[in-house]
Amino acid sequence: MRSVLWLRARGGSRVLVYALLAASAVWVVVPLLWAVLNSIKTLEDTFRAGAIIPFLQFVPTLTSWRTVLMDPGILHALLTSIVVSAGTTLLVLLISLPAAYSLARFDFFVSSRDVTLWFLSQRVLPPVVLLVPFYIMMVQFHLIDTWTGLIITYSTFSLAFGVVIMRDVFRDISKEVEEAAKVEGATPWQIFVWIALPLSVDGIVVTAINIFAFSWNEALFSSAFTSLDAQTLASFILASRGTRDVNFNLAAANTLLAIGPPVILSFFFQRYLARGLSLGAVKG
Amino acid sequence: MTIAGAAGRPESAPYLTRRRSHGPGDERVFKYMMVGPAVLWVVALTLFPLFEVLRYSFADYVLGLGITHYVGLGNYAEVLESARFWHSILVTVIYVLLTVPIEVVFGFLLAWLVNLHAPGTKFFRMLITAPLFTMEVAIGYLGITMFSAQGGLVTSLLRLVGISIPWLSTATWGLTAAMILEVWRWTPFVFLLALAALAAIPDEIYDAAVIDCESHWQVMRHVAVPLAWPVMTIAVLFRLIEGFKAFGLPFALTGGGPGTSTQLFSIYDYLTTVEFFNFGKGSAMSIVMLAMLSVVIVLFFGQMRRRIG
Repeated sequence: MRSVLWLRARGGSRVLVYALLAASAVWVVVPLLWAVLNSIKTLEDTFRAGAIIPFLQFVPTLTSWRTVLMDPGILHALLTSIVVSAGTTLLVLLISLPAAYSLARFDFFVSSRDVTLWFLSQRVLPPVVLLVPFYIMMVQFHLIDTWTGLIITYSTFSLAFGVVIMRDVFRDISKEVEEAAKVEGATPWQIFVWIALPLSVDGIVVTAINIFAFSWNEALFSSAFTSLDAQTLASFILASRGTRDVNFNLAAANTLLAIGPPVILSFFFQRYLARGLSLGAVKG
Repeated sequence: MTIAGAAGRPESAPYLTRRRSHGPGDERVFKYMMVGPAVLWVVALTLFPLFEVLRYSFADYVLGLGITHYVGLGNYAEVLESARFWHSILVTVIYVLLTVPIEVVFGFLLAWLVNLHAPGTKFFRMLITAPLFTMEVAIGYLGITMFSAQGGLVTSLLRLVGISIPWLSTATWGLTAAMILEVWRWTPFVFLLALAALAAIPDEIYDAAVIDCESHWQVMRHVAVPLAWPVMTIAVLFRLIEGFKAFGLPFALTGGGPGTSTQLFSIYDYLTTVEFFNFGKGSAMSIVMLAMLSVVIVLFFGQMRRRIG
């Protein structure tokens, strides 16, 4: 519904609104467009002035994309990123959904709000603080440069998020349905699996996307713990950086490959985004 | 499932409840079984490691040998006397205090514009949120090609209007470049929260406001900003906390250089731990950082405590 402010706005104000929105769109799109164009240019075209519009001003080529997608190192990093992110997402959901449900429905010897805040406190901790003990732990358990090591690490940082945000989602489910099922003799477990989970699918999906994106984008721990076998796309990119000899075209293709999956996933789920990002503190 | 089968036979309910009163169906057992794994995980993999950091911070740790001996406050003295440490704190504070306010102003203004619901704003809303889930390391890496002295997008565009900026070869401009990309990356976060806050303001309030106020500007200042304030506080605290964690974007863009001039705290701590294997010093540094952050953290918890039911 149009805002009353918009309906009462004069022509000049309306033009200004669109001008500012257009400017912000340009601001957001320019780096991405720059990456897209560079990824389909030859090296010569990259540094030639006036090569902006494909087909008209330069001949697009898929050479960079072919190089990137045929590079065994990048493909392995891509596979690692997918396995580690998906593995983390599943593990975190498996542990945090029951905990979140329990905290949403029951009270403990301390209030469930305090337990939730305790979980939340793990989220505030700067991850780099845990770098030393995790590094030593990874060495001791021979988990350096393994998928398992990364999944355990990332799950630790996402668990609190999963618990806090899913508790908020479960609390929104009307208790009446659950009470009815209880009267009919359903066990708490049955109520959780057959009523609470199906009613929370939207929230679970948004939580999953957030956890997936976090694991996909994480660079500090993956750079510290992996060198070859379990290098993720993020640590691969960080390892290949250098201000002198960056190949613009390959860098562009790499960037798009790396930022694509989580961004595309998020487009499908615009609802709940603010709520997820603020750990349930902001509804919307 | 037994729900349908038991329908219309309420007399069966007490029997079932009694029968399950000591098994896993009992709520008292159930709730602990459900929350147990998560609590154990956090105790084992967050609280215990946190305790370990504290222990390592008083010790000399050699990889393979473990703690060789305790050095008391030696690591802390080394950290607090290190010019590089204070430099990293200074750079981080500058980084956070310059980017967060810009993100908040941009994010709020964009949310205000989108919340007018002019025709076509759904499209803009989606576009503005695009950077939200982008990989920070990749954005920093792409940034090298944007701010590069040879053929970089920003450098070339500025040269067209006669401005020449040594983006990646000086500390000030390198940090500026990182902050520009940081604002690009995180403004959508504030935008989404601000949008949620503005959307929650009932239409009637705007209806009344347009009669009382002379301009949009006044409606924003006297109506929207005060009503959205609580949510904006949350947004600022989130961004402060996340901002102090900044690592991937500036590190990928500048590599901490030239020299060590753009090493933010996380970068310096990371290098101390992973490149120099100085675990004792790395731990002490983390503890000092945590102590400095505690003010923000306490404020954050005050806010969250109020908002979590």
